[in-house]
Amino acid sequence: MAKEIEKEGIPVAVLTALPVIPLSVGASRVVRGVRVEHVCGDPRLTPDLDRRLGRRIVDTALEALQTEVSQPTRFVPPEEPAIQEAAVAV
Amino acid sequence: MSSEIRVLHYLNQFFGGVGSEEQANIPPEIREGPVGPGRLLQATLQAGPGGSVAATIICGDNYIVENERQALEKVVAALDEYEPDLVVAGPAFDAGRYGLGCALVCMAAATRGIPSITGMHPENTGVLTHRLNITAVPTSAEASGMQPAMAKMVELGIRLATGDELGPAVEEGYVPRGIRREVDHEATGAERAFSMMMSRVRGEEYVSEVQVPGYETVSPAPPIADVSTATIALVTSGGLVPKGNPDNQVGGRARDFFRYPIDGLDRLSTDDWESVHMGFSTVHLNTRDPSYVLPLPIVREIEREGVISGVYPHFLSTTGNGTPVTTARRMGSEIGRELKESGIGGVLLVAT
Repeated sequence: MAKEIEKEGIPVAVLTALPVIPLSVGASRVVRGVRVEHVCGDPRLTPDLDRRLGRRIVDTALEALQTEVSQPTRFVPPEEPAIQEAAVAV
Repeated sequence: MSSEIRVLHYLNQFFGGVGSEEQANIPPEIREGPVGPGRLLQATLQAGPGGSVAATIICGDNYIVENERQALEKVVAALDEYEPDLVVAGPAFDAGRYGLGCALVCMAAATRGIPSITGMHPENTGVLTHRLNITAVPTSAEASGMQPAMAKMVELGIRLATGDELGPAVEEGYVPRGIRREVDHEATGAERAFSMMMSRVRGEEYVSEVQVPGYETVSPAPPIADVSTATIALVTSGGLVPKGNPDNQVGGRARDFFRYPIDGLDRLSTDDWESVHMGFSTVHLNTRDPSYVLPLPIVREIEREGVISGVYPHFLSTTGNGTPVTTARRMGSEIGRELKESGIGGVLLVAT
């Protein structure tokens, strides 16, 4: 789907827990999400951290949309220590 | 008895009888003997060359793709413990994460020098991603094709286990691995090309000697120059629909996408929205927050901050679960045209 939209000249950031799948079929901009059941956040975190994690993922996707790419490219949201620690604790 | 083939079988949580999507996060567990489709595998082995399923590894579909290293460590430990002659994985049919899991297990077996065979639909992500490194029998999309799939997997698997080398993929009936071998032809290349051309002109059947991979490459679209003037559209394959599913969207093999208004909406409530996706557990979406597959609140926040100019007033929604490539292409093309006409600058597509 992403490739057909890109054919119209519109950049698409694919947010997914499994980047290997869209990358394998040639999607241009692929952003790593959390898990299949909650791509844009993590219900195991507190609402505040959950939201911060979601914001990081969406910010990374916006950055991807503004990045020139020549082939399928993976974008990984930057880690935030507070979120990592909380994720380890749950 | 010593000549009998010892098989280690890999299954996901569903075929392993542990549970459905709510069990997709279980780490690998080992059971002695055959489980589920392993009984058919064992019966097929015994009806043929003789052999048995020594043990079965069962792992959740999410776990193996999300925790590849940890999962495969356990798989390799099981290989070392049971020392099988052959690893059989699946078949996975059109289940993408299961197909990936099967491929990973086959590749782990190769690191121990153990031959392996799997089976899945030719459009399964497992073969699309790893076909160069695995031997996979093409299967039907649905599990109703279990028997012929297992028969073929056993046939080829036994040959691999006994040190036999397989012939060309098209003749043997497995998914091409991208290996080219030198062969002798009676006719020269020019003669074969000419005869192929004549067949084509006459409308006769012919087979190309060069298999072109099925995936079309698309040049990436140029980036957004100034995101602060751009309107962003949201697309999801998470099966998100208004509560009650007024358009009867399906949980798998969707043929349509639908557009739902989000103009003036800041967040998605579980009272008003639900996911009908049947390819993963929708508990988090349907009891806590549907925006895990459509990050509307975050995008609104970004819009308020002036980072982007606006959000397309509808989101486009389908169920990405066993969707054939041709259908996905058609939906993408229709969505692309709609967004192009609306002057959309970029798309956030959440794929589950």
